[in-house]
Amino acid sequence: MVDNVWLTSALWIGLALVSALISIRLALSVALIEIMVGAIAGNVIGLPLTPWINYLAGFGAILLTFLAGAEVDMDVVRRNVGASIGIGFVSFLFPYLGCMLAARYLLDWDWPQAQIAGISLSTTSVAVVYAVMIETGLNKTELGKIILAACFITDLGTVLALGIVFASFTAWLLAFAAATVIVAWLMPKIAPWFFAKVGRRVSEPEIKFLLLVLFALGGFATAVGSEAVLPAYVIGMALAPAFQRDPDLPHRMRVIAFAVLTPFYFLKAGSLVEAATLVSGTALIGLFLGLKMATKFIGILPLTRYYRFENREGMYTTLLMSTGLTFGSISALYGLTNNIIDQRQYTILLTAVIASAVVPTVIAQRWFLPKIGAVKQEV
Amino acid sequence: MFKRIAVANDGSEGGRRALELACDLAKLHRSTLHMISVEELPDFPATIDEVAETKQAENHKFHDVLAHARKIAKAKGVKLQAEVVAGHAASTIVERVKAMKADLLVVGFMGHSALYERIIGGTADRLVRLAPCPVLVVK
Repeated sequence: MVDNVWLTSALWIGLALVSALISIRLALSVALIEIMVGAIAGNVIGLPLTPWINYLAGFGAILLTFLAGAEVDMDVVRRNVGASIGIGFVSFLFPYLGCMLAARYLLDWDWPQAQIAGISLSTTSVAVVYAVMIETGLNKTELGKIILAACFITDLGTVLALGIVFASFTAWLLAFAAATVIVAWLMPKIAPWFFAKVGRRVSEPEIKFLLLVLFALGGFATAVGSEAVLPAYVIGMALAPAFQRDPDLPHRMRVIAFAVLTPFYFLKAGSLVEAATLVSGTALIGLFLGLKMATKFIGILPLTRYYRFENREGMYTTLLMSTGLTFGSISALYGLTNNIIDQRQYTILLTAVIASAVVPTVIAQRWFLPKIGAVKQEV
Repeated sequence: MFKRIAVANDGSEGGRRALELACDLAKLHRSTLHMISVEELPDFPATIDEVAETKQAENHKFHDVLAHARKIAKAKGVKLQAEVVAGHAASTIVERVKAMKADLLVVGFMGHSALYERIIGGTADRLVRLAPCPVLVVK
């Protein structure tokens, strides 16, 4: 069946459809369900990975990261630059160092493996935080905006680490960095001009233009040993103001991403989970989850006091910033795909990442909800 | 007997039946009637847009639910106060019922399979367990 492209496609899209239906029924993120469905399918029936599946999954990861960058609200970051950069940077650095050093010295993982552990567990899930903000009405408050801005900075740290740590430090890497910076600087000027010139067409030249930039920089990144998601996030951030003014284009890109590409990414990510390790590695999963949360607490909670958050708000902020999902899974899969970590280590890290999306959110919502009334509205 | 009645309406057939009965009870007891509708956002989303799009879809849905509810209340000669809140259905409704100090909560019953009830459970079940006031489940 692996040789029959269309049957294989039917299987994968069928799994994606099942995931979508389950996510709608249970009101859970489709990404989370796709990972779980992928894990079940991978362990029960086996999901062989062909080159074209890997390509679609990689394409999905690039687009996902680009769209994540495009969600950054730079006005919010600028308005609260001290708090957001301070909290965001510490939110990345402390779990990165803590989990990396624990993996190296407690678990005797090699340095590259320990780096992957640190990077995977340094992330913060901006989307989880955003959803909680909407439910509590905090998205309209200054506190909520600071937390969101800090999340963007944390993810920037994760993406930079992923792109830099494993790259070879050569003149070509410097050339790639310069190219990314120049393109990121030019895009906010060129892209709107180009979009206005070509207009909205069935042939979607706007999307093709953006994909050309992402693929070219992604190819350059790969050639120098970096990671294609790094320039994707940076270009996304550069275009965020333009996309916020005209949300139709990112919406069309999201349709492409979520309909066809990201399911292959998340299903693949789940399919590589080893069921046996979920049982035998429970203690390590718990260790990494605990370490991520503890290091986030050590770094962020004191800073919330410094920026005069109330006690409850500080705990809530710290717990929300302990969450992670998308970038954590991208980092772990990067490690596995590049043979830096093995499947057992991947399973442990991915499961810890998923647990970090759930556990801190539940604790925050249950015990540390700030005393702000839920936003009531008449529609 | 009931000064303040709260009714949970998710736009389903069960929610509509609950609203109609709540209107009748409010008229009978001369109670104030509050309708609570909860926009359920996805848990543990991967992108902000997943949240934003769901919120937009829920906004559209509850715009119609609210309009329909007002029609029902008007036909029955009852004044309806309605609110739409984002959150998790059961916990949000319980919070709002506590905040408004309702004497009675009226909810609709959505029949699920026995397996679904055992594994996931319905909102009505949770509300019966968690609500701080009597709960009337309308079938």
